[in-house]
Amino acid sequence: MNNISRRDALRVSGLTVFGAAFLASCGKQAGVQESGNISSEGVATPPAELPEGVVNDVVLLRTAASLEYNAIDTYTAALDKGLLSGEYAKLTDAVKRFRDDHLAHATALNGLIVALGGKAHTCANERIDRIYIQPALELLTASDNPDMAKDVVALAHALENVAAQTYQGVVTSLSAPNLRADAIRIAQDEVRHAVVLAQVLNGGYASVGPTTNEATGKANIASVPGPYGPLAAIPLTVGTPNAEGLKTSLSLETPSLNSLIYDYVSCS
Amino acid sequence: MTNAQARSPRSTPPAQPTEADKQLLQFAQGVEIAAHDLYKKAADSGKFAGDELAMISMFGEHHNMYAQAINGLIGKAATNQRNESLYSTHVGQLGSAQTAYNALRNVENTLAATNTDILGQLQGIDAARVLASIITVEARQAAVFGTLPGLNLLVALDKSANSLAPSIPQASEATTETTVAS
Repeated sequence: MNNISRRDALRVSGLTVFGAAFLASCGKQAGVQESGNISSEGVATPPAELPEGVVNDVVLLRTAASLEYNAIDTYTAALDKGLLSGEYAKLTDAVKRFRDDHLAHATALNGLIVALGGKAHTCANERIDRIYIQPALELLTASDNPDMAKDVVALAHALENVAAQTYQGVVTSLSAPNLRADAIRIAQDEVRHAVVLAQVLNGGYASVGPTTNEATGKANIASVPGPYGPLAAIPLTVGTPNAEGLKTSLSLETPSLNSLIYDYVSCS
Repeated sequence: MTNAQARSPRSTPPAQPTEADKQLLQFAQGVEIAAHDLYKKAADSGKFAGDELAMISMFGEHHNMYAQAINGLIGKAATNQRNESLYSTHVGQLGSAQTAYNALRNVENTLAATNTDILGQLQGIDAARVLASIITVEARQAAVFGTLPGLNLLVALDKSANSLAPSIPQASEATTETTVAS
């Protein structure tokens, strides 16, 4: 016995007719033009393709130069905005000296770059600034941050370590041994800066080598973090403490393929 | 820059030390052993105690580790002999804590300068990687002596030191050129 009622039959047939009409309207029967621009007026612009970036000595050195300008800009901001206050104001001369050193590094690097046939790079690495430095500055300059000056020193310490690790890391990528030596000469200046800042943040003989914060389980800032220069992410803890007294933790890394200063990158 | 080499169309340096590299690394090992012995002399002098002694001992042990790491790089070519010239230059300056600090800072700066010059001659990438990571720590250890017991910025940033590195020419076949099959 058939269980389909007359009402069900009418419903099914109605849906069938509607569906057929809908499908027909979507097809050639509806007068659809065979064009790639069916839903837009005019001709769509094809997506711009990024230039092919080739990593070579010039690109590595331009990237290093950009980091020097990141440091220069950060130190300049600390000085111009009076961020080194209280007991940290005594670091003003040191910060000026560090900034001068970074400017000298940038000049030396650009000399090498031009000698290798490249184009000098005289501005900060935009990506490093955007993903690391600006977020850190925003956190540490919050009006309710009780440790702003100390956090500025912590940011500077982290940036010096990023620069040092960058130079150490590119040693095996630079093609010429003399360039490797030039890179590590600059790295030595960066680690000396880092040691001075580390002693300000966590001073004394007991803090020279690696130690661990018993409360957080994290590594304390150390002047000599280990027997070999590390190539690892650099932790930075800054900003207003939360209800548990913990600050925001950031993790800084050396430039990668998406933050290299390729030949086609220029200062805007 | 982990993928940098993979995307870089250029000649490929050797990983292992060349014969000239081995001579350079022999020299580097000698100065590291001398530095270790100088730190041991300072630590055993009785002029340091507590955390300060622990720091002196740690720095000395780092140099011992560097000598062993270089031993691993050059194998049978290693002499494991300290550089007597460097040792004798500074061993007489360990008489007081203050002179010891100056001496050990000079040793660290001398090693950093020497190893940097050696790095500038090495063809082998494995040794270059290790030496680069040693040099940055030696510079840190030199700077520490300018920050303790109190900060002296000029001393902490002072890197003036003469390199002791010999100049050893590389054989012309040291670098392997990358070729593209046609």
